[in-house]
Amino acid sequence: MKKKIVFLIVMLVLVVGAYTGYKYLYKDHRNITKEVAVVETSAAQLQEQFQNNAAEALLNKTLTVTGIVTQIEGKSITIDDKVHCSFKYEMKGVQVGDEIHLKGRCIGYDDLFEIVKLDQSTLITAE
Amino acid sequence: MKLTFLIAICLFASTVCSAQHKYSSKTGTIDFEASVPSFEEVKAVNENVSAILNTDNGEFASLALVKGFRFKIALMEEHFNENYIESSQFPKAIFKGKLQDFVFSEVSESVSEYMLKGTITIHGVTEPFETSVKLKKVNDVIELQTEFELKPEKFNIKIPKIVSNKIATEVFVKAMYSLSN
Repeated sequence: MKKKIVFLIVMLVLVVGAYTGYKYLYKDHRNITKEVAVVETSAAQLQEQFQNNAAEALLNKTLTVTGIVTQIEGKSITIDDKVHCSFKYEMKGVQVGDEIHLKGRCIGYDDLFEIVKLDQSTLITAE
Repeated sequence: MKLTFLIAICLFASTVCSAQHKYSSKTGTIDFEASVPSFEEVKAVNENVSAILNTDNGEFASLALVKGFRFKIALMEEHFNENYIESSQFPKAIFKGKLQDFVFSEVSESVSEYMLKGTITIHGVTEPFETSVKLKKVNDVIELQTEFELKPEKFNIKIPKIVSNKIATEVFVKAMYSLSN
């Protein structure tokens, strides 16, 4: 009887250990869509912050940005020629000249085009 | 009168200068793989790589934001950013160089190969670099493709012993751009 209990406890520990280990190794990616944005800003403000080298704290953070669509390139949209946002899918129904409000993860500043880049973006529709 | 003439010349000169022929893209793709057979795949893709090609002289520059590399496994992505490539400290990977013997008018719908020579900067370390690239032009879009291998140790990227048998010593990189003007 005692042996049985010890065996059961050992098994339980092993199973729980394996499960938490698995959960740690194969944890899910961040879900930017569900994260609360740390900063709400405009495209111009965001670009200025990076140009003044005052934006290190924004790297890898979830932001919401507002601006006018200036270019659409496949699955990505550039707003105000200052922020480039990539989406998971092609954004149908968005046209150059539209004002959009979106959420995405800031991945850094691109010196070649002088733009800030966001990935995993999603549109925020007005409620 | 003289002044206005000068200003006019300056304006004209500046427009001539800015009318360089540039083909560019903000959505180039770079993927790399350092997998070892029978271990978890070590592979990532960045679909937001910027690149500019000056078709007057063949100068080419490309910039990838390191945080834009996405892995299948979240923990691997975290380790890549925090421990290996240290993307908060070194957020950019940059190539700057020139296509050798590039003549824009020779680029056609059939693939031609050029040598690309320049420097590559990763993890704050700049190394001389050259690779062969394939170019073709379809409907005024230049398709540029290249494949090469890089060694992490050259860029001062240290891979701990415990995982070193799960990560290849040579990283296989593929880059693809559709450049338009």
